[in-house]
Amino acid sequence: MRRGPILALLGIGTIAGVIATAVAIFLPWLPPEASDERGRIDVLFWFTVAICIMIFAIVVAVLLYAVLRFRAAPDDDSDGPPIHGHTGLEIVWTLIPTVLVTAIGIFSAIVLARDDALGKNVLNINVTAQQFAWSFEYPDNGKVTTGTLRLPVNRSVLLHLTSKDVIHSFWVPEFGQKQDTVPGIDTSLHITPNRIGTYPVICTELCGLGHAVMRTQAIVMTQTAFDKWIQSQTKATASPNPSVSGAAVFKNNPCGSCHTLAAAGTTAKVGPDLDKLPQYAQTAGKPLADFISESITDPNAYTEKGYPKNVMPPFNLPQAQLDALVQYLIQSSKKG
Amino acid sequence: MTATTADQGAHAPAPTQHGAVRRYLLGPGWIRAAWMTALFAAFGFGLVVVLRWWGGWHPLLDWQPIILVSLLVSAPLGFLAGLGTFDYWVYYALGKPTRAEDHSTHGAHSWKDYFRVNTDHKVIGVQYLVTTVIFFLIGGLLAMLMRAELAKPGMQFFDTQTFNGLFSVHASLMIFLFVIPAFAGLANFAVPLMLGAGDMAFPRLNALSFWLLPIAGLMMVLSFVVPGGAFACGWTGYAPLCSSHQPMGAIFFNQGVQWAGASSIMTALNFLVTIITMRAPGMTFWRMPLLVWANFTTSLLVVIATPFIAGSQFFSMFDHVMHTSFFDANNGGYVLGYQHIFWFYSHPAVYIMMLPGFGIMSEVISVFSRKPIFGYRLMALSLMAIVVLGFSVWAHHMFVSGMASWLRVPMMITTLLIAVPTGIKIFSWLATIWEGKLHFNTPFLFALGFLSMFVIGGLSGVMLGAVPIDIHVSDTYFIVAHIHYVLFGGSVFTIYAGMYYWFPKMTGRMYNERLGKLHFWMTFVGFNLTFFPMHLVGMEGMPRRVADYAPKFAGLNMFISIASFAFGASVLVFLYNMITSWRRGPIAPSNPWRAMTLEWQVSSPPPIFNFTEIPQVVGSPYEYGVPGAQHAILTPSKTRETEELAVT
Repeated sequence: MRRGPILALLGIGTIAGVIATAVAIFLPWLPPEASDERGRIDVLFWFTVAICIMIFAIVVAVLLYAVLRFRAAPDDDSDGPPIHGHTGLEIVWTLIPTVLVTAIGIFSAIVLARDDALGKNVLNINVTAQQFAWSFEYPDNGKVTTGTLRLPVNRSVLLHLTSKDVIHSFWVPEFGQKQDTVPGIDTSLHITPNRIGTYPVICTELCGLGHAVMRTQAIVMTQTAFDKWIQSQTKATASPNPSVSGAAVFKNNPCGSCHTLAAAGTTAKVGPDLDKLPQYAQTAGKPLADFISESITDPNAYTEKGYPKNVMPPFNLPQAQLDALVQYLIQSSKKG
Repeated sequence: MTATTADQGAHAPAPTQHGAVRRYLLGPGWIRAAWMTALFAAFGFGLVVVLRWWGGWHPLLDWQPIILVSLLVSAPLGFLAGLGTFDYWVYYALGKPTRAEDHSTHGAHSWKDYFRVNTDHKVIGVQYLVTTVIFFLIGGLLAMLMRAELAKPGMQFFDTQTFNGLFSVHASLMIFLFVIPAFAGLANFAVPLMLGAGDMAFPRLNALSFWLLPIAGLMMVLSFVVPGGAFACGWTGYAPLCSSHQPMGAIFFNQGVQWAGASSIMTALNFLVTIITMRAPGMTFWRMPLLVWANFTTSLLVVIATPFIAGSQFFSMFDHVMHTSFFDANNGGYVLGYQHIFWFYSHPAVYIMMLPGFGIMSEVISVFSRKPIFGYRLMALSLMAIVVLGFSVWAHHMFVSGMASWLRVPMMITTLLIAVPTGIKIFSWLATIWEGKLHFNTPFLFALGFLSMFVIGGLSGVMLGAVPIDIHVSDTYFIVAHIHYVLFGGSVFTIYAGMYYWFPKMTGRMYNERLGKLHFWMTFVGFNLTFFPMHLVGMEGMPRRVADYAPKFAGLNMFISIASFAFGASVLVFLYNMITSWRRGPIAPSNPWRAMTLEWQVSSPPPIFNFTEIPQVVGSPYEYGVPGAQHAILTPSKTRETEELAVT
């Protein structure tokens, strides 16, 4: 090949590469990183992106140069040179991509192995998914249960995931880790949070009508704050005062991710407004306490107008917790 | 036309009043199809009711099995029988005299012939394309509705059930009723001509495969009107969501896939036999055009893989209707089994939706660059490599599914390796264009659009192949972006290229080049504005298949929605061009592109039986620029008009 086309190709390729690199660097591609695993995924991501930009630039350069340079005049009926192939070139563009994808493969396998390797002093958490809510249980800490995931920073966390109904998928973009929850199979996911903050927990596997709103939060805190929280939970649920224990039960279950309740400071509008419970009970024609209790354990028995059936799952709480929650809801809704 | 009717007259007894009414009601056609559909539906209804009554259940209480047997299984069989797709076989099987092959079902002389059971591969090709374009429009409309809902966070126009139905039916139509059968349609038209054959190996089977398609499409669309709404579990139909938590619409999906799948398998068998046994003398495997190679390899994929999706849908439907527990974990079912079986088809299906496009690209790029295809043998071999590797990568859709974790690394390696044969094809096309004499007609513009867009889709595919990256982005909008770069930027661009390329051959008229170019640029720009930003929202944390999303994605989603409406408008330009050109376009010469493959050596449209005499193939189909090179020697063909005059 003559020198002219090579220089032109280099020129176009460099421009295309620079533009693609600018797109890669200046757009906010990845959410902030909050786990060691995400850190490693990011390195692999940028390594792969660099290779991709290189290939893309080569293809664009050849394509644009050809389009600009080899356009036939409208009345030109002649044919191009009858080149049937070039064994050397064909070997080159078989071998180079093979080497590149092998490099990506080896790098990925290393990242995967390190992401799955547990650290010391692992914190186990049982995650249960159901349509359309998450609940988290801390088996090593007196079986405290919560609807919001709380994690100590810089500690290896192993989530044990199960599902009560269909497939869901646990994802926190800032952690970069994702795992389906499958009925009948116990799956697990390893996370080492490394940044204090509050991040969204998102269900990414289509799980039915409420899929889009099946969200909660993951709060990463210091080990001390985490220990304090565990203690307060153990105490609160055992409190004889329903406004303390009931409030804890409300918070520990995913009620707030769908319902508004002024007393608990929740504002979600997926399900009916719990501040209007007395009014609903009247429409349903039932005593308030019975109505609330039934709506928790068997939500399809009566559904408020405008809200579809089969969206809220039945919650089978221990009797003491259920009673506390019912009392708490009676108190707060009467206030509201 | 006179020839065929005269022929029929000779076979039939002297027409009487009574005989005319009899033929009207009992002869194959839409009248018989109407009453036979009703009759078969009633039979299916009766069968279920009697069996349920006999078994001691309330005969009418459960509508699901009734709808399934009567509307989704027996009514379509009645329709097919009424239309006449089985006539010959039934007569033959009953030992009755079969109607002598008078070729009355061959060729099309008026628009009415496209609504009959026609055994001419060229007519069937056009039937396929028109039908698939109709479903493409419906699928596209569903996407527009989806983007309208997604323009703003919160719920505006639809409830969640309807929204989930929109994207499920959109994907099912686009995959099973547009991309796969549109390729089958193009190949149906072109492959026998390219081989120098008079028709496909099994013309009646070919007709049957076509008529299965509208049935499949209708089922998927009709699921919107059944109680409970359309199936809303995505086109992947994952169990147990689809097998036990869905309204009746789910079985419309299960069955629709069966009809479309049966159509695919029959067509693929037909292609395999045609390509293996009906090549013109001298047409060795190494002299076949790459489109033929592409359909040969695709058909291998279809024949081996499609029965798996059929199985997965039967199991899922049995769980739904008969309460079996193939995928019900509470009763010993294995939930991931569905995904393994499903993807064992649906990953090869990605190549079923891409390899025929590769074939079209090879034809178009070589012809419009006026150069031989670069590295012909390696191009054919890389197709075979993709077929073989394609069966070993299915679990890369399941990296986060909870399957055996050791399976991830081997599946990643095979997935990444598929980039190698695909890369070979891209580089060889670039080398074909290099130093060519490029003619920027619409098919070539779409080919260049394909090259650039498919590279982006392929590269994001490499990223998805790397397990840790996939773990972060799977089930997000990044996947939505990737699949559209591959299936629209890849497959649909090649379908457009193919439709423009063979339009003169199919219709005998030229399309409008200026409108074609306008269509290309609107598509190219609209496509990128719509789908490129989806990479970004996905990486940042927006999951796919959601009716509602976090407010921080509002700006980009509004942008995507506006771009998608402009993108959708490009289809109107395409339609206008196709319809007006078909009716009034300038008459096409037999070989407007100066191509060497055989279909361009006969008149436009080709004569009813393609070739006056079977051509003798003497060389490669891509010898552009080689002085004196010939692909085949043909006796000069008669045009359709002179042929008909001769018969009369």
